[in-house]
Amino acid sequence: MIQLEPVKLKKQRRLAITWSVSFLILFPLLIILGLLMRLGQGELIKLLLANFYAFMTLHGLGMSGLLFSMAFATIWYLISTRYARLNIRIGYFVFFTTLIGIAGLTIGTLIGKFGPGWYMLYPLPFKDPTWVPWSIEVSIISLIILGIAWLTGISHLLYSLSKEYGGFMKLLGWQYIRKVEERKELPPIVLITTISLVSAIPGFLVGITMMFLYLFQSFETVLKFDPLLLGNMTFFFGHTLSNVTLYCSVGWVYALLPEFTGREWKTNKLLVYAWNATFFLILLVYLHHLYMDIVQPLSTQYAGQIASYLSAIPATAITMFGVIFQLYRSKIKWSIIPIMLLLGMAGWAIGGFAASVDSTMAIRKILNSTLWVPAHFHTYTLMGIVLFIFAFIFYLFQTKNKEQKDKLAKTGFWLFAIGGYGFLLMLYLGGLKSIPRSYARYTGININGMHTTAVYLAQISVLFILLLLIGLFIMYFSLFANLFRMKKLDRSQ
Amino acid sequence: MSQFIAFLTLQGFVGIITLVASLIIVSVVIFLIVTSNKSEDRSLVKYKVYKIRARYFIGLSVALVIILFISLQLLHYPRFQGEADEIVTVVGIQWDWEMAHGITDKTPHQFLGKNEISLPVNKRIKFIVTSDDVTHNFGIYNNKGVLLTQIQAIPQYRNELQYFFTQKGKYTILCLEYCGLVHPFMMGTIHVQ
Repeated sequence: MIQLEPVKLKKQRRLAITWSVSFLILFPLLIILGLLMRLGQGELIKLLLANFYAFMTLHGLGMSGLLFSMAFATIWYLISTRYARLNIRIGYFVFFTTLIGIAGLTIGTLIGKFGPGWYMLYPLPFKDPTWVPWSIEVSIISLIILGIAWLTGISHLLYSLSKEYGGFMKLLGWQYIRKVEERKELPPIVLITTISLVSAIPGFLVGITMMFLYLFQSFETVLKFDPLLLGNMTFFFGHTLSNVTLYCSVGWVYALLPEFTGREWKTNKLLVYAWNATFFLILLVYLHHLYMDIVQPLSTQYAGQIASYLSAIPATAITMFGVIFQLYRSKIKWSIIPIMLLLGMAGWAIGGFAASVDSTMAIRKILNSTLWVPAHFHTYTLMGIVLFIFAFIFYLFQTKNKEQKDKLAKTGFWLFAIGGYGFLLMLYLGGLKSIPRSYARYTGININGMHTTAVYLAQISVLFILLLLIGLFIMYFSLFANLFRMKKLDRSQ
Repeated sequence: MSQFIAFLTLQGFVGIITLVASLIIVSVVIFLIVTSNKSEDRSLVKYKVYKIRARYFIGLSVALVIILFISLQLLHYPRFQGEADEIVTVVGIQWDWEMAHGITDKTPHQFLGKNEISLPVNKRIKFIVTSDDVTHNFGIYNNKGVLLTQIQAIPQYRNELQYFFTQKGKYTILCLEYCGLVHPFMMGTIHVQ
């Protein structure tokens, strides 16, 4: 643990609050894009096809970017105030460049109608006349800006941690395996952050390289790249980004939960084995996205399924059992923060199970590209990562003895959770009914009963999304009341 | 029981196992909340939880190996299915399917096929699938709206899919990879006779 001077602590706190408030503004706006999509699919509003796909692209890219950014900001705050000195200027650089990237993407999609979907599968961005040509370049450059911002932040974080803990190798925790007698305590959040961010580096490098290839293609239309290679690059980047976001957020569960249970959660040999194994698994699981590309070598298909299955072992046997150890007969006081951390774990487990089912090659042929896919990834993002993020924001904004506000927050949270799981259930049922994903309208499907089922499920989803938004805004009341109270206290001191 | 299993689609099986797993997870959450008002010594809790974890670890590892072994035998790749009785060439193009019997020597751009095709029942059909522009996905649905199988249609590559139609009737092809503005209207028909 480092002892940070009060002035520096205040500065880092202000940066974390800036990130959090930006997140709280952008998050519901991106949900509203999702709501509009479900309204259109449910035939409750008329949504132009071009608008639907522009919304779908911004919703997907925006949410992935926003969740990663907020996960990064949370890790930054916890590391900078406890474990290593971080340069606040780099922190603000990442923040402002991220805002520029998000603004560029918003212009590209909402004004230029850029709509090739969040994973922009090659060569689709260049083969649809719907979006205006400049929107391709604006969106790609925005993504490059985001990639550079994040890589800068990650590199600084890893460098500062290495300096603090006596070298990069120490961050991987191998000293726990070698039984070194005198060793500096390595907090689990530092180990997990290292593993996650180290695996993010190749992911982001591949993503940026791909974006440069796209940029060349947009300027020189005769260029032709291999779609299968770019498909591999797309999913390597995309899956790594979502995995890293999830694992970073799991990292702060290890740091925050013990503060409520009073039980230490330290690094040990098993934890080191589990998270080092996770590093390799993060790099391999993306292969399950390419099962339907049968021209891929069979060995890569096997690797995709095996890596996906093996991911369940460290996730459940180490992290989830760790949570059970923390909570069982702990006399914990169930404030909003531990409730969110526990329910976030449940969301990760349920979404993870559904993802494992989908990663089974023999089953994938009937689930791939159906609503099952958004169902499972929304489960571990909306009911996993998002809850971990809100737990942190409540933690950051908390003031002492405000039980009344906690009740308000809890009411909002349960509405959010019911709305969220209701929305997810409609997606899961849609997947089981073989309803395709990414369909702006179901009117063209001439299969008996499918159109009606798909429309009904979308309509019911709308009700649940509205409930989720009501819950979210009730939580906001509590959060902003806390924030203003905190500011008042700061001024009076 | 055997009748129930016979009627259970793969989708139904997926729904049941996911529901069971979710209920187990929710039960663990409720158990943790209910038992949290009691207090127990940290080392005793550690002993109990670690004991269960060791069993869980062994159980999960064995289960994963068994499921991997079984599921990897059931792959839908052509090399696991033997020789085909009939071959169909399929080209995806924004936003239509073109199909014709036999193997073609034409490029996807030159290829001319139809949006509908007739195929024999109880024969092993091999679809050779590619694309003329962007990536599509050739998804075959039965007349009850159940997705039976699918394969990507990637430009510059030829993917192979084998399927054995056991029932006569009309089958619908939907595009299952987002391919641009008119993606939700890209369809085709297979008549199995």
